[in-house]
Amino acid sequence: MTSIREKGYHHWEGQFLDNPRPFWPISRTGVKLAFGRKHFKLGYTFSFLPAMIYAVIIYISERLEDFKFIAQGGDKLLQVNPNFFKSYLTLDLLYFAILILMSIGGAGLLADDFRHKAVQLYFARPLTKADYLLGKAGVIIFFVGTLTLVPAVLLYILKLLFAGSFAFFLEYPWLILSILAFSLLVILFFTAFILLTSSLSNNRNYVISIIFGVYFFSEILRGISFTIFRSPLSALFSISANLKQVAAGFFQVKPPYNYPWYLSFLLVSLFCFLAYLIVKHKVRGVEVIK
Amino acid sequence: MTAIIEARNLSRWYGNVLGISEINLEINPGITALLGPNGAGKSTFMKILTGQLKANIGEARIFGEKVWNNRRIFSRLGFCPEDDAFYEELSGLEFLSGLLSLYGFNQAECSRKARQALDLVELADVADRQVRSYSRGMRQRIKLAQAIAHDPEVLILDEPLSGLDPLSKRHIIKLIKEFKNAGKTIVISSHILPEVEALTSEIILIHQGKIIARGDIYFIRDLIDTHPHMIRIKSPQFRQLATTMAGEDYLLKMAFEPEDQAVIFETHDRDRFFNRLNELLLSSPLAIDEITSPDDNLQAVFDYLVGK
Repeated sequence: MTSIREKGYHHWEGQFLDNPRPFWPISRTGVKLAFGRKHFKLGYTFSFLPAMIYAVIIYISERLEDFKFIAQGGDKLLQVNPNFFKSYLTLDLLYFAILILMSIGGAGLLADDFRHKAVQLYFARPLTKADYLLGKAGVIIFFVGTLTLVPAVLLYILKLLFAGSFAFFLEYPWLILSILAFSLLVILFFTAFILLTSSLSNNRNYVISIIFGVYFFSEILRGISFTIFRSPLSALFSISANLKQVAAGFFQVKPPYNYPWYLSFLLVSLFCFLAYLIVKHKVRGVEVIK
Repeated sequence: MTAIIEARNLSRWYGNVLGISEINLEINPGITALLGPNGAGKSTFMKILTGQLKANIGEARIFGEKVWNNRRIFSRLGFCPEDDAFYEELSGLEFLSGLLSLYGFNQAECSRKARQALDLVELADVADRQVRSYSRGMRQRIKLAQAIAHDPEVLILDEPLSGLDPLSKRHIIKLIKEFKNAGKTIVISSHILPEVEALTSEIILIHQGKIIARGDIYFIRDLIDTHPHMIRIKSPQFRQLATTMAGEDYLLKMAFEPEDQAVIFETHDRDRFFNRLNELLLSSPLAIDEITSPDDNLQAVFDYLVGK
């Protein structure tokens, strides 16, 4: 005999909400958490120092007559041209600042979720893996973007404002596009790099060592390779050298290394693509036991 | 009426390890308990239901819709995972609000719903404290809060009572029963029979990835009562107790643990055994320090059901 079981019945009174930006709350939380970390605000503020120095340079370059005592023999340094913007966007100090900030606020983006097994909370909600990754990427995009794209565009506008004419724009009409394109590439690269390293461990300290280890080891590898082979292609081993080489192509200036810039561009693009594949594979709602 | 949750030939394995195998079932509104020892496949089944794992074979449906890659369905579903899954740096309120915003609620709505959920699980007074400072029981309750905050129609609760003190356990059981009375469909997993008994009579026994029994809990209780049962009694007069009980026909075996001053009885009629023990305690000055049942667990029932 089958026993009688209690059954309930009701009409669901909830509603389906159309959420056009499901990734946004993840990015917002990530940015908020980063700002909450020790020393982050201070580091973030100091990271704008190069941009401020470049802004001063623009100002001085437009008032050379007033600043003759400073500019003595430094006219070349004070020239605002595509190379000026390229040098800002490939500044080693800027990249170092990005690495420091991202090691504080970005290393744990995926690693912490893995450690706390929080991914399952996301995937049990109306959120796809792409939304989740975009949300995490948004945190890096925000910080790297505010240190590269935003200051570079502001510096460009500042140049136009201080010049008081469109002569600069007419001389280099493509420059703003180069600034936008290269900044986006830098953002894309650092997003891929940080997310990839963050997905490799569930220990943020380990991730931080990978971030710095890979970055500086790539420099060491370039040095060793160049010492042995004396080939400019050794620069392909270095992260910053590749970005500088690509920048030269984007800003139409002489490349620092004697090989076509698009080789570095292909390498950076390939790295970003592979990083995406690995991160996508690593992010799962559950721990897979094998 | 179609079932709220349906599983058809659901199978999932991890490499060579079997998670679940050919699960076929329908779950209707009310509380359904998945019972099984650790590693039985309960969590795998729940993770397929919550869209985190794809079944290798078969499919799971909720409200008649496929679960895998159907994010729409998750607005009507709440999941409480077994593991701790938090952002320790956030306060309880921020944690819930952040998760609620993933459903598309605005800030005010998120905050209101989060406070409501925290109130339901009696964490309102610690809403602004960081999650890292929460006790084990509080963590368990905030996990439940995140599952119910958006008022889902289906609740999937993976071991929601583990780690709770008796008072919190009673409160959560009451809360889950209220959800049931509100007409929700609740699937709850546990490996502790008395916990499940307090919640529902509708159970599914899962073992080694397969459903081995489904139905009324009293049927399972009967199985427990008819198969040989071990009772361990710790007493300074353990030998005297053994001598007195030795003549009872429902006793099958006795074993001594002199170092612990304990005796283990094996009986096939637990009720008669305990009645006799009560009589003895009332009529003689026997002191008893502890009574435990080493095999009063599901594993014993599963072993019995699978004929080990």
